[in-house]
Amino acid sequence: MPRIERHADVHWEGNVARGTGHISAGTGAFRELEYSLPIRIGRGNEGKSSPEELLAAAHAGCFAMSLAGELQQPDAWIDVTATVVVDEVEGLGHLVVESQVRVRAGVPSIDREAFERVVQAAHQGCTMSRLIEASAKVTIDAELEE
Amino acid sequence: MADRSASVTWQGDLMSGSGEIDEVPSGAFGPLQVTWKARAEESDGRTSPEELLAAAHATCFAMALAHALAQGGHAPERLQTSATVTFVPGTGVTKSALTVVGAVPGIDEDAFRAAAGDAKENCPVSKALGGVEKTVDARLQ
Repeated sequence: MPRIERHADVHWEGNVARGTGHISAGTGAFRELEYSLPIRIGRGNEGKSSPEELLAAAHAGCFAMSLAGELQQPDAWIDVTATVVVDEVEGLGHLVVESQVRVRAGVPSIDREAFERVVQAAHQGCTMSRLIEASAKVTIDAELEE
Repeated sequence: MADRSASVTWQGDLMSGSGEIDEVPSGAFGPLQVTWKARAEESDGRTSPEELLAAAHATCFAMALAHALAQGGHAPERLQTSATVTFVPGTGVTKSALTVVGAVPGIDEDAFRAAAGDAKENCPVSKALGGVEKTVDARLQ
């Protein structure tokens, strides 16, 4: 298989406390997303993204594709939410400590046990799960729906 | 502590199906369509997990570098950063290559490169990419 490269660009102005940055995707899929430190660490986000939100989107996108690849079911639907948790770790500063993956899926003719096996295989095969697991925890909550 | 989440809905199998990254909770982007073909072949204007990871890494790196420079007494006027993530299907993500061009009053090239090297090692997304080769190419404007 060939190597695939994807890139993104950020333009930052000023110091970290009061400055702002803008994020653009190489493919053009999104452009000039504004972000700043108060947005990243605060509870409110006022329509602005952050590295952790982008990482959550990468993990959810990767996991959904990996599960679709394992199921091989043209009539399946899959909902995945990834929640990335950053916390202060003593002596190490702020780290990504966890990504919580919630999966809900509708799959014709599969039983619960087989579904759970397939979810584990999808987790093993998802490149973002492997990356995050090298330094943090990945938890999975998966349920089959009618 | 900060939590950020994002959700994806996928329909069908991997090769012929497609997914949608819902509008993210912050409202900053989405919905965005994703497919295996756009991820592994021509993007055709569509994003992918690897592009989102590149965006997360470039974003995190810019913030960490701005912080380190300001703490050293050289708040940047401007940092232009990028991250290029390499994905090998079957193997996974193998590399993230960062670049930065800075306009930073009163700093020399060596000190700027050293600060960029530290930010590359220490921003939270870099630390979450433990097993991945990371490089940085830093220069002043």
